Amino acid sequence: MTQNNLSPKLYSAFLEGIIILAVALLIAVVFNLIRPAGINMFGFSSAALIKEQQAKIPEISLSEAYDLYIKNKVIFIDARDPLSYADHHINEAINIYPDEASLHAPSLKIKADQDFSFIAYCDGPQCPLSKETAHALLLRGIPNVKILVNGWILWLKAGYPISKGKK
Amino acid sequence: MKLKNSSRLFLPLFALVCRLTLAIIFFYAGIEKIINPRDFAIAIYNYQLLPDCTINLLAIFLPWLEVLIAASFIIGIYTRGASLLSALLFLIFATALTINLVRGLDISCGCFGSFSGNISWLYLARDLSLFCMSFFVLIYDRGWRYFFA
Repeated sequence: MTQNNLSPKLYSAFLEGIIILAVALLIAVVFNLIRPAGINMFGFSSAALIKEQQAKIPEISLSEAYDLYIKNKVIFIDARDPLSYADHHINEAINIYPDEASLHAPSLKIKADQDFSFIAYCDGPQCPLSKETAHALLLRGIPNVKILVNGWILWLKAGYPISKGKK
Repeated sequence: MKLKNSSRLFLPLFALVCRLTLAIIFFYAGIEKIINPRDFAIAIYNYQLLPDCTINLLAIFLPWLEVLIAASFIIGIYTRGASLLSALLFLIFATALTINLVRGLDISCGCFGSFSGNISWLYLARDLSLFCMSFFVLIYDRGWRYFFA
């Protein structure tokens, strides 16, 4: 290996590293200040996060949910896996798995501003997915999220409108 | 302009492949986190290693550092500094992963924003492999010009 002297290389690497760190910090701070979704640089609160995560999500009955559906004032959120959703789902429902909440949050915020409320459901009385998706949405600032426990089965048995395929 | 002798090409060429691979990984990881800084802050918090006051700052800063390292690797400017930072980052990630794997915490890796799986020993092996690649780039990378000088 020619001129294999490590110390000048490491020295220049160290200097270059410091420059990259400084530029990254500058861009990060400026970008965070100007972007609408910027966060408070020193404002993280674990206590507030735990409180939000432990907040009990209100439940809604089937008749109340159907009433909102008729008035076209609700968006159903199908928290089941995409295959189950594609098979059949509540009419006009959108599929949001808990991990995908952040992707849908901006469009749901617009709907929330138009006085829509949100009902998360999944399949079975013990199914945790609707609760997880509802929590994830609440954490991202989506208000009026409720859970229809055992929602899919109840809706199906009641013979209310359903549809199939991806939306 | 002529290409180098093939026997002298192997190590720099392999370093170039490692460099570009790292660039793609850093770019993807950085962009995902820039899109959702709050999610990344929660992922950092879940590691239970840092005080609250540093979490948001790191969630803002680290993704841009990753993107700048990726840009440096692709363009070929300050690649020594970028590879040193890359090696340090993967060492820190590996240490954080090890601590929480030993603690037995079942938390999201946070490595690629919202779409990361939960931490596992496989992720630790991945981070250590990427650390080795970064170190290899630091030692053997010769930049774009080497191949055409």
